[in-house]
Amino acid sequence: MPAAPTSGSRLRLTALLAPPLLWLTLAYLGSLAILLLSAFWATDSFTSDVVHTWNTDNFHELLTTPVYRTIALRTLSIAVAVTVIDALLALPMAFCMARVAGRRWRRPLLVAVLTPLWAGYLVKAYAWRVMLGEDGVVGAALAPFGLHGPGYGTTAVVIVLAYLWLPYMILPVYAALERLPERMLEASADLGAGAWRTLRSVVLPAVRPAVLAGSVFTFSLSLGDYLTVQIVGGKTQLLGNVIASQVTLDLPMAAALSAVPVVLIVCYLAAVRRAGALDSL
Amino acid sequence: MAETETRTRTGTTTTRTAVRLEAVTKEFGTVRAVDGVDLAVREGEFFSLLGPSGSGKTTLLRLVAGFEQPTAGRIELAGHDVTAAPPNRRDVHTVFQDYALFPHMSVEQNVAYALTVRGVRKAERLARAREALATVRLDGFAARRPAELSGGQRQRVALARALVDRPAVLLLDEPLGALDLALRQEMQTELKELQRTTGITFLLVTHDQDEALTMSDRVAVVRDGRVEQTGPPVEVYERPATAFVAGFVGTTNLLRGEAAVRVVGRPGTYSIRPERILLTDPAEPPAEPPADGRRTVTGRVTDIVHAGAHTRFTIALPHGDRLTVLRQNLTGLPQSARLDGEIGLSWDDKDAFPVPS
Amino acid sequence: MRKRKTSAWRSAAAVCALLLTAAGCGSGGGDGKGGHAPDKLGKGEGKVNIIAWAGYAEDGSNDPKVDWVHPFEKKTGCQVNTKTAGTSDEMVSLMKTGQYDTVSASGDATLRLIASGDAAPVNTKLVPHYKDIFPALKQQPFNSKDGRMYGIPHGRGANLLMYRTDKVKPAPDSWRAVFDDSARYAGHVTAYDSPIYIADAALYLMRAKPSLGIKNPYALDQKQLDAAVALLKKQHKAVGEYWSDYQKEITAFKGGDSVIGTTWQVIANLTKAEKAPVKAVLPKEGATGWSDTWMVSAKAEHPNCAYRWLDWIVSPKVNAQVAEYFGEAPSNRKACAETSDPNHCAIFHADDEKYFQRVHFWTTPIKECLDGRKDATCTDYAQWTRAWTEVKG
Repeated sequence: MPAAPTSGSRLRLTALLAPPLLWLTLAYLGSLAILLLSAFWATDSFTSDVVHTWNTDNFHELLTTPVYRTIALRTLSIAVAVTVIDALLALPMAFCMARVAGRRWRRPLLVAVLTPLWAGYLVKAYAWRVMLGEDGVVGAALAPFGLHGPGYGTTAVVIVLAYLWLPYMILPVYAALERLPERMLEASADLGAGAWRTLRSVVLPAVRPAVLAGSVFTFSLSLGDYLTVQIVGGKTQLLGNVIASQVTLDLPMAAALSAVPVVLIVCYLAAVRRAGALDSL
Repeated sequence: MAETETRTRTGTTTTRTAVRLEAVTKEFGTVRAVDGVDLAVREGEFFSLLGPSGSGKTTLLRLVAGFEQPTAGRIELAGHDVTAAPPNRRDVHTVFQDYALFPHMSVEQNVAYALTVRGVRKAERLARAREALATVRLDGFAARRPAELSGGQRQRVALARALVDRPAVLLLDEPLGALDLALRQEMQTELKELQRTTGITFLLVTHDQDEALTMSDRVAVVRDGRVEQTGPPVEVYERPATAFVAGFVGTTNLLRGEAAVRVVGRPGTYSIRPERILLTDPAEPPAEPPADGRRTVTGRVTDIVHAGAHTRFTIALPHGDRLTVLRQNLTGLPQSARLDGEIGLSWDDKDAFPVPS
Repeated sequence: MRKRKTSAWRSAAAVCALLLTAAGCGSGGGDGKGGHAPDKLGKGEGKVNIIAWAGYAEDGSNDPKVDWVHPFEKKTGCQVNTKTAGTSDEMVSLMKTGQYDTVSASGDATLRLIASGDAAPVNTKLVPHYKDIFPALKQQPFNSKDGRMYGIPHGRGANLLMYRTDKVKPAPDSWRAVFDDSARYAGHVTAYDSPIYIADAALYLMRAKPSLGIKNPYALDQKQLDAAVALLKKQHKAVGEYWSDYQKEITAFKGGDSVIGTTWQVIANLTKAEKAPVKAVLPKEGATGWSDTWMVSAKAEHPNCAYRWLDWIVSPKVNAQVAEYFGEAPSNRKACAETSDPNHCAIFHADDEKYFQRVHFWTTPIKECLDGRKDATCTDYAQWTRAWTEVKG
């Protein structure tokens, strides 16, 4: 039992925690609150100035205009696709790193996976723009098979986002696989299970929380992205773009639009929390 | 390996071999963990591999289970060569030291796993899992998660899981190591009982000589990747084949060289079990008339340790040799059996058992 | 890596704008208050923050020979910080942050900035070179109010049609190539990513569908807007990507991802400099275009340096440099004597008002029809914005 804190140590603790807590409340929650609040304001259509009159027109427009629904659904589908692809890629990669590769190789492999995180986001996105372009290496690599590169568009967005967020999926899955005792795999084989059975019944359930934790990153990062789609998305419009372009034109509408990914992410977090994934974050 | 003597528990006259190792060697890099081991475990036998940590006994077990591939040699199960077979192609199950229960499955799902893997129908699966849980006295725990169980309960779940589809051989890797003393002794009895009722061949790995001696039909003492001696517990205890076995299995007074000549009366290496030495007053003659071949010496008591049912004496002999004597606390002690007292020691010359040095 | 900086700034500025404006700390709504013009200039403040179109404030980082920022800094001691904007909407929202002193606003931004009070009137007496500006650019509806100038005219030009000479044959001479005929280059057509681009479609419809009765591409009633949107949706099928970032347009044309679409002369020049086989033409329908004005922020922290910049940028030599580099008509008539190509002013019709009647300068659409119709209600910029979102789908 730790000793009850004296009044002096309690004071120190308060002083220590106050700045970050204040920051969290004001800068983070506060700005979110202001954002939501401003969604109920209007804009002068000529000057783009915010008019502080309370109304729900923005949300009405948001819910009744079909194009917003289309864009929201498209954004959601891309986020889901990126998450699924990342999970499918991360599982075998993390498995090789944590289980197949020798101990000596683990650290270099981990570094290799993490290295792309050190490079700038835009550098990577522009690199993909060059690669996916008409005369880029992707098209050149596919040409011998009589195939054509995806070009700029939704597919390119999914590919690049999946690439950008992959480390965020690999890391938790790798950690979970490394934590998974060798004994579990042996016990499964010992009881008669083949490799696939072991993967399905023992490995996957063990890494499920990690995959869900990783998916929180891939899903929410994809949902909010607007730069990648500008760079390789061709004419694709996602929620992020619409918000970004509305910010300059109609701030309250942009705020109302931002509520969509916020709501989606909150729903997703709630679902993932039920599945117990946040415990391992 | 002599196999003519048919002393199996089931009493059959023709004994088949459940596990056979022929010249099995396992190297990890430059370390030779198992060094040319020959071993035959009979069907229906409770067989223990006894040795200190690092002796290679666990590696032997893992070779049988299929988790490791031998560097050289051959492994047979029930007469079939399984040297290259993966674990899931061997009719053996393992009870791991840390139990290795699947944390995301209920107790019942854990126990039924071997059946699930084989595609047994759900109804039958559950019935047999319940049955297995009943045999380890865990009825009513089916829906729990492993994390909600005590160490002893997990141990039983691991046993039930390994026994549910009645493998030909059950491998137990220090199964009682993580339990406290009382529970360990209780489980020893239970394991023995379980082996008797199921008739399954048990191959147990332990570093605890008590465990090996109490439960096993036969024991193999392992040291540095080799088997030093194989035999029934009594034989291993009473007639250790090597000085190591004599020292590792039970405590003993090992006498060699000059000391052997002085104490035993002839050259060589001898083991005298401490409980075989009687204490007498040096002045008086022994309580019973000394029979032929009894040897008597005199020494001085340097240490007395009371350990419940018995007392351990350390006696210094005139030339600096020391003998340990164990005495059941039954009757009154000789008067001189006190610290610094002059005391007589006597033993049957047959109890000075020669061991190859 | 100029692009990187731009985008990072853009997002940072967007966040700031969002927070500041949302918190009510931004510029309050108003109509034409916009502060006061100074009577005389004081000492320079040592720095000036500029919002400019790409190519308007070159410091030699794109081309070492193209640099009129460093000489300015040397001469005035005013350190220049340039923020490149891709659209007029971006300029307006950046000006609202109050962190910039001056902006090269086009006609679709100027009136909005005047109306919101973000731009201050300019005392033209403090800009000595103002006297040499073409009279046709002074006291125009898009840069003045109640007889007061709200900025110094910079130059004007047209949005051009750029195409890859190796991929687009025969050479196009009509906007038809990116509208009714866009399917021929499906997946490789590009268009400017801003609601104002709707005017390009309207301009094309003026000729292609006279029955719609479009007189001014910025004065569209609902029916006319619907027709333009329908045309743009058709074009959307053939569009590979939209651009508002000039670097993106350059790489797209260079790589062949875009082969035809709207452009600015400066982009065509830069793309050619990258050895891409492109050509830019003014189609026979005429074009939309811009007439830019350097405005001073009502909240300028560095007004003295801002005024010095205004005078510098319209001084004959610099005005000529900018005009040649960007590919536009200079605003200072003396600049025509300073251009390296003696025919520049003739080529870009600097003093040719007839020519500029064919160019429809960007202007903000409002409810009152700009073409003078009294019997119709026109669509305003908010409707254009929504329509543009819908076009892109």
